[in-house]
Amino acid sequence: VDIKGLPRPLDGDEEPVKLSEAYPLNCHPRYFRLTTHAIPASQSLVSRWHLPLGAVVHPLAESPDGEEVPVVNFGSAGVIRCRRCRTYINPYATFADAGRKWRCNLCTLLNDVPGEYFSALDGSGRRYDADQRPELSKGTVEFVAPTEYMVRPPMPPSYFFLIDVSVSAVRSGLLEVVAKTIKSCLDELPGFPRTQIGFLTFDSTLHFHNFKSSLSQPQMMVVADLDDVFLPLPDDLLVNLVDSRHVVESFLDSLPNMFHDNVNVESALGPALKAAFMVMSQIGGKLLVFQSTLPSLGIGRLRLRGDDVRAYGTDKEHTLRVPEDPFYKQMAAEFTKNQIAVDIFSFSEKYSDIASLGSLAKYTGGQVYYYPSFQAVTHGDKLKHELSRDLTRETAWESVMRIRCGKGVRFTTYHGHFMLRSTDLLALPAVDSDKAFAMQLSLEETLMTTQTVYFQVALLYTSSSGERRIRVHTAAAPVVTDLSEMYRQADTGAIVSVLGRTAVENSLSDKLDSVRQQLQLKLVRSLKEYRNLYVVQHRIGGRLIFPESLRYLPLYILAICKSLALRGGYADVSLDERCAAGFSMMILPVKGLINFIYPSLFRVDEVLTLEPNKIDVSLKRLPLTMQCLDTGGLYLLDDGFTFLVWLGRMLPPELVNNVLGINLANFPDLSKMQLRECDNEFSRNFMKILRTLREKNPSYHQLCRVVRQGEQPRESFLLLSNLVEDQMAGTSSYVDWILQIHRQTQS
Amino acid sequence: MSEFLDLEAQDGIRMPWNVIPGTKQEAVNCVIPVSAIYTPLKSIPDIPVLPYSPLRCRMCRSILNPFSIVDYVAKIWVCPFCFQRNPFPQHYSSISENNLPAELFPQYTTIEYMSSTETGPTMPPVFIFVVDTCMIEEEIGYLKSALAQAVELLPDNSLVGFITFGTYVQVHELGFGLLPKSYVFKGTKEVTKEQILEQMCFFSGKKMPTTGVIAGTRDGLSSESIARFLLPASECEFVLNSVIEEMQKDPWPVPADQRASRCTGVALSVAANLLGVCVPGSGARIMAFVGGPSTEGPGSIVSKSLSEPIRSHKDLDKDSAPLYDKAVKFYDQIAKQLVHQGHVLDLFACAVDQVGVAEMKVAIEKTGGIVVLAESFGHSVFKDSLIRIFQSADDNLGLSFNGILEINCSKDVKVQGIIGPCTSLEKKSPLSSDTVIGQGNTSAWKMCGLDRKTSLCFVYDIAKKDGPDSIGQSTSNQFYFQFLTYYQHNEGQMRLRSTTISRRWVSGADNVEELVAGFDQEAAAAVMARLVSFKMETEVDFDPVRWLDRALIRICSKFGDYQKETPSSFSLSPRLSIFPQFIFNLRRSQFVQVFNNSPDETAYFRMMLDRENVANAVVMIQPSLISYSFQSGPEPVLLDATAIAADKILLLDSYFTVVIFHGVTIAQWRNAGYQDQEGHEAFGQLLKAPHEEATSIIKERFPVPRLVVCDQYGSQARFLLAKLNPSVTYNSDNPSPGGDVIFTDDVSFQVFMDHLQRLAVQ
Ligand SMILES: [Zn+2]
Ligand SMILES: [Zn+2]
Repeated sequence: VDIKGLPRPLDGDEEPVKLSEAYPLNCHPRYFRLTTHAIPASQSLVSRWHLPLGAVVHPLAESPDGEEVPVVNFGSAGVIRCRRCRTYINPYATFADAGRKWRCNLCTLLNDVPGEYFSALDGSGRRYDADQRPELSKGTVEFVAPTEYMVRPPMPPSYFFLIDVSVSAVRSGLLEVVAKTIKSCLDELPGFPRTQIGFLTFDSTLHFHNFKSSLSQPQMMVVADLDDVFLPLPDDLLVNLVDSRHVVESFLDSLPNMFHDNVNVESALGPALKAAFMVMSQIGGKLLVFQSTLPSLGIGRLRLRGDDVRAYGTDKEHTLRVPEDPFYKQMAAEFTKNQIAVDIFSFSEKYSDIASLGSLAKYTGGQVYYYPSFQAVTHGDKLKHELSRDLTRETAWESVMRIRCGKGVRFTTYHGHFMLRSTDLLALPAVDSDKAFAMQLSLEETLMTTQTVYFQVALLYTSSSGERRIRVHTAAAPVVTDLSEMYRQADTGAIVSVLGRTAVENSLSDKLDSVRQQLQLKLVRSLKEYRNLYVVQHRIGGRLIFPESLRYLPLYILAICKSLALRGGYADVSLDERCAAGFSMMILPVKGLINFIYPSLFRVDEVLTLEPNKIDVSLKRLPLTMQCLDTGGLYLLDDGFTFLVWLGRMLPPELVNNVLGINLANFPDLSKMQLRECDNEFSRNFMKILRTLREKNPSYHQLCRVVRQGEQPRESFLLLSNLVEDQMAGTSSYVDWILQIHRQTQS
Repeated sequence: MSEFLDLEAQDGIRMPWNVIPGTKQEAVNCVIPVSAIYTPLKSIPDIPVLPYSPLRCRMCRSILNPFSIVDYVAKIWVCPFCFQRNPFPQHYSSISENNLPAELFPQYTTIEYMSSTETGPTMPPVFIFVVDTCMIEEEIGYLKSALAQAVELLPDNSLVGFITFGTYVQVHELGFGLLPKSYVFKGTKEVTKEQILEQMCFFSGKKMPTTGVIAGTRDGLSSESIARFLLPASECEFVLNSVIEEMQKDPWPVPADQRASRCTGVALSVAANLLGVCVPGSGARIMAFVGGPSTEGPGSIVSKSLSEPIRSHKDLDKDSAPLYDKAVKFYDQIAKQLVHQGHVLDLFACAVDQVGVAEMKVAIEKTGGIVVLAESFGHSVFKDSLIRIFQSADDNLGLSFNGILEINCSKDVKVQGIIGPCTSLEKKSPLSSDTVIGQGNTSAWKMCGLDRKTSLCFVYDIAKKDGPDSIGQSTSNQFYFQFLTYYQHNEGQMRLRSTTISRRWVSGADNVEELVAGFDQEAAAAVMARLVSFKMETEVDFDPVRWLDRALIRICSKFGDYQKETPSSFSLSPRLSIFPQFIFNLRRSQFVQVFNNSPDETAYFRMMLDRENVANAVVMIQPSLISYSFQSGPEPVLLDATAIAADKILLLDSYFTVVIFHGVTIAQWRNAGYQDQEGHEAFGQLLKAPHEEATSIIKERFPVPRLVVCDQYGSQARFLLAKLNPSVTYNSDNPSPGGDVIFTDDVSFQVFMDHLQRLAVQ
């Protein structure tokens, strides 16, 4: 096998842009991607596919300037929808009866066109106004929803912060970063002037804070009865930010000092969650939980069950990765019911049971942020950026999402952070531009009779400005009878997304080892099927063959198996880190996931002397293997969450000194190293590279870590474990993997 | 009469019988028990304060006093109580007839000791404010400014705590400093001391010791943790002021058909527990400011529904006040706890409604607390009273703490108990009688709070039986009484006041005249008023009017001059002559005719009666009436409807209320403004005089009485009319010209006296 000739995704995710040309009326792939843009016409075809058949939806994906989603207000005509299947009017709808009727492209029902919406048709049966109407010409539109789409008036965006202030939070400097960051975001919180805000701090007791606008400073009220939590005030715990701005600012200014002397080691998270629920239950909103230690008091207290080597490889292994106490899932259900989304920020230096805490985010459309052993000096920037992002990104509130599809197919499973309200309705108390969802399809009938299948994603939500809206993405895909067409139209990014999510889900009910075997089996079966097809068609044997569209799939599947969430077993990854990575993989959009499992690696030292405007184009991604690393080079690895700076052994000390501002000989502990821009060209260019990479994906902020070649064990778990093409303890190298798959496809 | 006042001025004691019936039977025949109303901290000018410890009798522990017989040669003193001969210690060796220590001076029967070795270190007084917030904004406003003023007057060294309550209880952490912080407790359930320790983080995250009582610095609490809640007034002035300033009405909504949810009981229990945790055994007072009935949690007196009225005397009588007994039981528990800790409960009840004074009475009285009842926090009765408590003027209350009162008596006298603000320490001794009245079964009492006015009524039992040996052993016919009061002076140090008095006793049936000569009818009225109130509260089916009538008839039969069966021959010695009038007015007073008042008012009146001295008690029983006119200077007049005249001004002092009543002509002149016109200066003077007198009454009274200024026929005139003898009622045949007719069915004093004379001579 030619190692160099093996396919490598050095350009990252390949969005199926060609499709847009073929289907100009489809929504952009950034919003909706099928695992293959060819729907099998028969059950038997499905059974030969072996890979997931489904889609990845990113309903609020950020669009580039100039491609903003058009907003449509139907006014008195009301939102035009199919009477039977409730599909929204879309570019694939056709008009009949001189424009008085329209035919639903999903269920074929002929609907009346309301008088207000009438337009005559041209000779080809197209409405004269089709080009002026975004809903008839664009795959993505947003409808303004009238009152019948509301069960209550749209609530203002509300942010409630639940902050652990026990001793570890105080000592790590966390409170100061959190307080400063929130304060700096106050002007940018969505929903001005209706935005609501509130805080609850806790250790062994719960501290409510009264932000009544007439007060000159906040009042702290401590409730210590953890068995019988109650609100000390009926109002003013969650307040209008404009009215109470000065009180809120005074609170944030004092927050770090308020608990300066706190030596309390306990954490009553469960009762605090109950209290937060009571405060928020009327209007819902976002609950941001900052947890610094394992919850130790009251309901929902967690056991230090930690990682148990004896559990690995047994059928109890997965129980470590799921919540032990049903409290968290029950609480999450309550939160969702009351339109509350929970984001978990976890900072513990010890085991903090991310598995349990994360379930709060999982079922409420929230997110898990994990900063193990948080120290303000090293992690402060990352937290600051990610918290700011969380607070200021576009967010949809009080939302539900449903994906309709044409006759004969049906979505059966959904993967992501949400609560399933009925068989196909995803409840999302809040959803934002950083959340994607995956789902799988099945055929309802043995044979499809239509030529095309239509899909329509509808997200009904309250905008931050308080308007009820429906964002609708519509797409069409052909029905095919030929398996090779399915291969041709396969979308590796979407497939990897679905596979990654299902693998994470499987790891919650199965051993890691079996999860990885299942992935491998899927790959083998699929390639075997393809081989059979190929061999039959072209009579070529002996070589591993794969369709062009899936050329990176073997490597990606190997990468999934080596990802933080699924790699190894006991001691390869800390349990909390593994669970946190799993939660991230469940929400990442395709691009983010791809970069997470197969990070970008660059050699940096060679470009630092170039002219600044030439640097970006000169940076070349490298295959993830040790063989690419020159001992005289300086490399940068970016997985979207972390930057890893690797210093080759022979790297000239002056360069290190210039770029990092340190003398390696006098700086033995690189884990404590903080990167600052120094006054020289090398450093400026280096920092510019980091900045550019960060700007490309603002969803997360990469924490920068520096490691020296041969510096064990840091080099192993920081860098080597990310070189997915290399062989590591118990795992295959890319070449071995290909040989192995090849062997299996031939057996 | 004046000799009794002189005795009172010297020792703070008045006794109905200053010549004492010498045997048990004689005492019983005298109807009014041998008793004393003692004001332990009465301010006595020039009272010696001795900087050393007292000498005690080796046998009975009584203290060396002017009645001790001293042998200057042998350096020995004989105890007048037990006749034990006690040698003087070395440091008394220079004693001689011409070189006496102060405690042997005959005029120093009352004296104080302040020995640093015996009394320990100076303790700062502790004040913990417990403030109701379930009020309309206006009342909150009044209360805020009153509290702010009080805070300003707090002694600098005193420690202060602050609790607010409504639906919940909020304990303010005044020591937090950075911003206002409080601990919140539910109003529906009691909070234990352990919960206070744990939930208020007294061990700041460290494990709480699992064994032993934890309280105060001596028991393992750090002074830092205590200082979070109780701070020197001088250090927390700013925080306290801002807490008061930002105090808000209880924010929980109250439905229109409901009362506010007010957890007075739990708030007081939290305060008691906090004090128990922080400063057990050190002088402290809980000052509760309550603006309405307790409706939430233990100690509530009425349900939240407005359709259920607050209990009346009728309900209590018919046993149809479902929450009453439970609440009283709850407050009795609090009383026990506070007494055990040495702490006081003061109540400032300011509401149009009742707030539960009747239920809380037990806790206030047993701890020696102050009670003020007013209609509003804006009323001068409240505002001025509160200031009086902290004012450091000469006539200040002299709030003292942590008192223990012990007694010694001559062998043949025992004590049945005390009616007054104290708690029996249940130290049974040969001095304690088997029959108990009030706080008995003991010879020592706890007085957590006491001040210069606190007056206790001791009820004695003459144990000596008739018989040949009755006058045998003792060489004199004197009884001795000694009162020893240990207390934390308002300046912080512990002191001991000792009062020793002696009274002559007489025996045999032919000593009526001597007994009468020693009869203090005012003291007797005060004692009878306390007794009748006490019996009404404690004896089922007690008929107070009948009991008083029978007592009066028996006294008149025994001590009156008359020919049998000839009512017209009846007369009483001047020593006894106004006693029937006292009883007549007592029968009509708020203490007996309770149905005219709410249970809260009755409880208030009785608490005041039970802590006041004789003179003030007499005013409560029988208000004084002064008449002002052009014809003569101010003159006391009979408390009778005939005192009213169109051209007179009356000044009525019924203790709780001072009424200035203008006759109708006076009122007309005043409305016409004559007082400001030249040539009518005398009228101006006449108008002013009663006001000046009223001001001087108000100034020296605590709580400050309500001042009512009214005109004849005006609606406020009822405050006067209700107190007058109904000599002229709508039943009378000949209404007096110019006077007023009183609408009542009460009998007039004349009718009452006629009946009395008839029955007394039978
Ligand atoms: Zn349809
Ligand atoms: Zn003696």
